[in-house]
Amino acid sequence: MNVLEAVLTVISILTALVLVRVIIGPTIWDRLLGLNMISAKIIMSIIILAVLTERTYLMDVALAYSVLGFIGTILIARFVEKKGEF
Amino acid sequence: MNIIISNLLIFVSLGFMIFGIIGIFRFKDFYARILISSKVETVGFLTIMVGLMFRTGISYSTMKIMLICLLAIITNPLSTHAIARSAYLSGYKTGKEN
Repeated sequence: MNVLEAVLTVISILTALVLVRVIIGPTIWDRLLGLNMISAKIIMSIIILAVLTERTYLMDVALAYSVLGFIGTILIARFVEKKGEF
Repeated sequence: MNIIISNLLIFVSLGFMIFGIIGIFRFKDFYARILISSKVETVGFLTIMVGLMFRTGISYSTMKIMLICLLAIITNPLSTHAIARSAYLSGYKTGKEN
């Protein structure tokens, strides 16, 4: 078991724990916080996978995903704040 | 040699991530929760990226990881601020939950 593979399994377990908070989360903003953390964890695991398998093009995927995750979070936060009508 | 440093940094960042998870579940109030977990999450993210940089040495992939680190430094606090601001402006009062 390589170190990076062990780290990947630990990160996926932590993602499942954050998912519990997304499900329980009393308010919408807890869910948004959970989604924000899950996207950060997904970016970490993409890059660890890229380093593990020496596929450097996966890092561009992580870059694009982090930009889109950021824009998605901002839009949802504004949508919730403006209560629907932008 | 750099493998040892990168393993060390990766374990430190795992510790940060576990603190982030504890921070999410322990605090009863949303603002305390988002304050702690997003901060610790960003630090964990950066630590694991630096740890991976040690592993890849000087190459294009290290530059890519640096770019992603720079992006994460800028976007993570911004998105957390957007979430907390939308919670505050839409009148989410603390103490209503428990």
